[in-house]
Amino acid sequence: MGSCAGKRPNPKRGLRVTYSSTIRRSSGVLILIACSGALSLAQDTRPKAASTTREAGLAAWQQVYAVLTYPRCINCHTATNYPQQGDDRHPHLFNVVRGPEGTGVAGLNCATCHQSANADTTGVPGAHNWHLAPLSMTWQDLNDNILSSPDVCRSLTDRSKNGSLDGSGILRHHEEEPLVLWAFQPGRRRDGTERSLPPLTHEQFVAATRIWIAAGMPCPQNF
Amino acid sequence: MQTFRLMVNGQARVVTVYPGTPLLWVLREELKMTGTKYGCGISACGACTVHLAGVATRSCVVPVSQIGNRPIVTIEGVEQDRVGRAIQDAWVAEDVVQCGYCQSGQIMSAVALLKSRRTPTDADIEQSLGGNICRCGTYVRIRKAIQAASQQLA
Repeated sequence: MGSCAGKRPNPKRGLRVTYSSTIRRSSGVLILIACSGALSLAQDTRPKAASTTREAGLAAWQQVYAVLTYPRCINCHTATNYPQQGDDRHPHLFNVVRGPEGTGVAGLNCATCHQSANADTTGVPGAHNWHLAPLSMTWQDLNDNILSSPDVCRSLTDRSKNGSLDGSGILRHHEEEPLVLWAFQPGRRRDGTERSLPPLTHEQFVAATRIWIAAGMPCPQNF
Repeated sequence: MQTFRLMVNGQARVVTVYPGTPLLWVLREELKMTGTKYGCGISACGACTVHLAGVATRSCVVPVSQIGNRPIVTIEGVEQDRVGRAIQDAWVAEDVVQCGYCQSGQIMSAVALLKSRRTPTDADIEQSLGGNICRCGTYVRIRKAIQAASQQLA
């Protein structure tokens, strides 16, 4: 791992504690939001800088970042000409390549194996429209180092890179995109064991995204 | 066990199998269509390649329950269209085959490539058939045959 990887939250140890403390710190804000009646994030997810503190937003971002850079997500948010696989993020077997649309090439595209749902009897994961994220949305550098939290945040919020998504669009992506949903229900490996899960549940991930968006999508400064 | 209605090479077929059964075994064991080969069982070698709604697909890892109403074309039906015939003719003309075990998968991938890209480069061929392994090392003749079929179709 490169230097950036060492600075990301440890997904197996401190993260849940951090998330809990984030929730505690944010709970007052959330209660305010719930009580106001005028602001329902489920209905209006446009960034509202004043509705949540920057501190709470940054704390929530770290939770979002921990999920985005978990192997279930980063394996398809690669900077490489191929997908990655497994918790060790090894290059995809079978000479699979990115292809012009991020779906492989004719004769060997994602759908050659990945169907619209997990195939637990054969260990092949699946979800609707299996594909790689565009190269503008990579969460790693060309040396396979995970990008820092500020760098991922800047990419995610840069509408010239993220498919012109605003806050509500990003939230919708995290809430509804089939491949995002798949990351939280990744199915079984070929040996029958469960694939590992991101450090947050999908509900927690969406909640953290909401807090971050409500805070105006703040990005941490460079280390 | 569950009953599935499949469209294989233009013919309606009915099978009663466990939903998680890979398509490969439905083809070989239930329908006795043994042209599609078992190589590795983990989609690593490409010998089991068929077309599922036109997409080259590793039948060894796709459960029959996930086929739905998508038509299946196997090596037994590949000659039904112009591209398939051109590839088969080129395969014979270039004498591609050595032992032949991987060749049905190679042909299915080659047909999928030519249907998508009528004049493929060598790089296109290497990438598109990069997941089809040939222990006999017929890769050079495969590439030559695909180029010949491409020219014949032009």
